[in-house]
Amino acid sequence: MHIPGIETWIAAFLTLAAMSFLYKDNPFFRFAESLFAGISLGYFIGITLNQTLVPNLIQPLHQDFAQNWDLLVPGLLGVLLYMRYVPKIGWISRYALSIYVAYYIGLDFTRRIHGEVLPQLARAIVPLTQFDSHTIFYSLIFALGVFSVLIYFFFSKEQDAVTRRVARLGIWFLMISFGAAFGFTVMGRVALLIGRLNFLILDWIYPMVGLG
Amino acid sequence: MANVLDKLLSLDRRWIFLLVLLCVGTPIVLPIGLPVATTGSTRAAFDYIEALKPGDYVWISFDYGPSSAPENDPMAEAILRQCFAKKIRVIVCAFYPLGGLGLATNSLAKVTAQFPNVRYGEDYVNLGYKDGAAAAMRRLGENIAEAFPADVNGTSLTQIPIMKGVRSIRQVQLVVSVATGVIGEYWITQVHSQIGTPIIIGPTAVAAPKYYAYLNAGQLVGMLGGMKGAAEYEKLLSARYPDMARFYQTTRGFTATKGMDGQTVIHAVIILFILIGNIAYMSRRAAQKKGA
Repeated sequence: MHIPGIETWIAAFLTLAAMSFLYKDNPFFRFAESLFAGISLGYFIGITLNQTLVPNLIQPLHQDFAQNWDLLVPGLLGVLLYMRYVPKIGWISRYALSIYVAYYIGLDFTRRIHGEVLPQLARAIVPLTQFDSHTIFYSLIFALGVFSVLIYFFFSKEQDAVTRRVARLGIWFLMISFGAAFGFTVMGRVALLIGRLNFLILDWIYPMVGLG
Repeated sequence: MANVLDKLLSLDRRWIFLLVLLCVGTPIVLPIGLPVATTGSTRAAFDYIEALKPGDYVWISFDYGPSSAPENDPMAEAILRQCFAKKIRVIVCAFYPLGGLGLATNSLAKVTAQFPNVRYGEDYVNLGYKDGAAAAMRRLGENIAEAFPADVNGTSLTQIPIMKGVRSIRQVQLVVSVATGVIGEYWITQVHSQIGTPIIIGPTAVAAPKYYAYLNAGQLVGMLGGMKGAAEYEKLLSARYPDMARFYQTTRGFTATKGMDGQTVIHAVIILFILIGNIAYMSRRAAQKKGA
């Protein structure tokens, strides 16, 4: 038998404090919640400073300013974002924010079109003559699903007797996909509980009773 | 009977929480060892890495945090073991801010302890965390050193032997993103779509359904969905490498295969809950209609 280290006790206490919310809200849960939020923020600041700002901005400027002076521009834009905390010159931060937003719109636009819409559209249009009956069956279901869901989300024209039926089929496809997503979500959440219970039982309780 | 169903509908939910706790906790204390069947997407991922040659480069991105570690850790560690067993060179990074780097460091320490011949800087490298995942990935296609000028310890990439053979991610044979949230999608849409590098995703179960669309469209070479995917990978690894089979059978640490006992039991209980809940609801509605 051996008593686990202080870090295991802290982790076990915080796990139980977080789980205690399932019984009812209490000060232990609120303490764990606040501690988690604070530590996360501190960790995020530290890791961004050490792993991004220092190697990508401060070190290059310090080591070879003549070669890397252009890094001052994004560095300055980053500083400008914080001007919003000075009310008199807060408007300056909007310039930096607009560049930031514009960059990510451009990046995301090509990402969505080239990386999602076109390849998945291409997959949705398959010739039914080149496959075996098994593939044709799945391709037909796939095509039917895409078509009926698109009809369901087509709001520019009032639905008539035919499109209403197709849209209803689209709802069935959507419900099946929500069901699959729900099943996966249950599996994901249970996995987290398994992880925590494994820690509590194998790393905290077992060593104390001489089984670890 | 109607009385019992009415009582079930108004049952305090904390009894259900307690039952879930017992169903998940009991298999940890008393393992059942239920079988795990493998699926096509996991086999495709495993076979793709098996087909790589010694000396090839695999980029493993830790795009998750402690909140999904029970699902993602076993995937990342199983893939690291396979790569080291096959003498594939591994480049590790993290794009998830809250703990991705810590988990990468922990997993590397755990797995490299099993492979004493694997040396840092020659067989693997940890490039650390980088902010702005999508923008950083775009730079990887041009010059890795622009996104990651140094490794996690601050050593310049020019001084790391493993990085001498690879300037951009175009020279990497495979990217594996063990991911929660949207970062895995960035790898597909920024790197695969723009550069063509093959991608394997190991998403959390919650994120898995959306990745099936990418898998179906041929944008992924394989996928490990949640803890089940990780357990399948451990099974495939054990079947291929006897050393790994011994490790997974004897380790006291957490593995996805061990976790699947609890998953299976609780899924059976949840299905039962859903059935009982629906029967109770429908019988109450029928009784109300009759009374009206």
